[in-house]
Amino acid sequence: MRAFNAELSKLISLPGIWLALLIGAFAPAAIAALDSIAQKEEIIAGVSTRLSEVGYIGLALGVQGVIILGVLAVSSEYLTESSESGGGQQITTSLTVVSSRIHFLLAKAGAVTVISILLCIAAIMTTVSATHLILGEYAPAFEWSRLIGAVCYWTFTALLALGITFLTKNGIIPLAVLIINSSVVSFSVLLYRVTKLAFYLPDRAGAEMFMFTDNTSTGSLFDGFHTPFTGGLVMFAWVVVVFIVAAIVFHRRDVAA
Amino acid sequence: MSVSSSRKITQILGAELDKLVTLPLIGLTLMVTFILNLGLAAAFTSVDLQEAAGTQNILNTGLSSMGYLQAGFIILGILTTCSEYTGGQIRTTLTTIPWRGFQLSTKYLALAIITIPAASITTASGVLYTFIMMKDTAVVIEIDEMIKSLAGATGYLTLTTLLSAAIGALLRRTTPALVVLLGYYFIVSPLSKDFLHNTKYFFPDTAGYYMFMPPSSDEINVLTPMEGTGISMLWTLVFITAAIVFYRKRDA
Repeated sequence: MRAFNAELSKLISLPGIWLALLIGAFAPAAIAALDSIAQKEEIIAGVSTRLSEVGYIGLALGVQGVIILGVLAVSSEYLTESSESGGGQQITTSLTVVSSRIHFLLAKAGAVTVISILLCIAAIMTTVSATHLILGEYAPAFEWSRLIGAVCYWTFTALLALGITFLTKNGIIPLAVLIINSSVVSFSVLLYRVTKLAFYLPDRAGAEMFMFTDNTSTGSLFDGFHTPFTGGLVMFAWVVVVFIVAAIVFHRRDVAA
Repeated sequence: MSVSSSRKITQILGAELDKLVTLPLIGLTLMVTFILNLGLAAAFTSVDLQEAAGTQNILNTGLSSMGYLQAGFIILGILTTCSEYTGGQIRTTLTTIPWRGFQLSTKYLALAIITIPAASITTASGVLYTFIMMKDTAVVIEIDEMIKSLAGATGYLTLTTLLSAAIGALLRRTTPALVVLLGYYFIVSPLSKDFLHNTKYFFPDTAGYYMFMPPSSDEINVLTPMEGTGISMLWTLVFITAAIVFYRKRDA
């Protein structure tokens, strides 16, 4: 518990965290607002097709905030300080204090999970109010099951980012891969046209939790492949696998270098 | 000791090139980018081959991966400038080369020297793969059109790399620079295309798109390759100038 508190306080005091929190809390609302404006024109013209997705698109893309959170939580530990201040890494101090590596990993994951959930709730609030403000009576109904799906998607994505960064020790690769993959031009969108296996990639499967519902046969962007529940399970399986690999590698690896 | 200025330039350029070549992440980035690009070209080719034969354009397919490919070059640019600031290398650099504007300009020159061959090899390999796989089914293309597109793609990637290096020098931290640039190129820009109708052609990535895309008959080509190059180059120059101005004024 004390390790968890320490991780939480380390996370909150990171300078880069403000970027993550700002993006996480407000980008979904901004995207949803822009989309709502476009939708309003279509509603007035009577050609609206994908009204039920308006707010959720913001939540699907705004996941960037927690990606930064997850990556920074680990990569900041491995950042080498300047030679004037000893050229050390925070990770050596962290592991001196919490000498069980598994405890350290779990405490970090716990801190990231808590912040991700809170951030997603904040994002949902801003997004729902933005869509209601702009669309008024046309605003889509926000169902609890889908919103919980969005919270799970954010949390799992943050944990994936954390796990991958534990493997690479450097924030660049996980940031680049995850940011691109959660954007409009995701690799999965390309790959599922080649092979059906792409539906089992974490971002595609995870998005099933809230993006694709059964009743949106009316021109939804993509048709659902899994049910929301199996989608969540597939993504959770990815998180578990990445964590097991990260735990093994982290347990066996030297801290320095 | 006074050193003649031409000798100085070659020495600084040599030092900057040395720093770039010995940075392990740079080589890794270029290699991963190259391999990923081949994989993406394969994916795009197999998607296009599933569609009706005889309608594909080899260049369009071979260059479809450009959208992803630029990520590697954005990382390259950011690494080049931000690596100076991790661990205080910048102070050693400035002790040896106290002419700041000069030093940063040669850094960009060194970066361009590395980027141009890397970009042309990477794009050419993607197009070559598509060419080999699709030569039976696709429309025949002229060789000079292909060279023009490849040159455009190389130019676009080089300008993007230099732009990223300029942003990296302005922000001086890897993570924020990466978030800002990737966020712009992969999220803001694709999303805002629907909302901005006329102004979008003046943004660096959309203008750059016209540098390498072969003219197609389906859609109206708003910009000629030359205009696209001009606008992209202007953006890069503006950011490089800003980077140099701030670099000269700011505490290291």
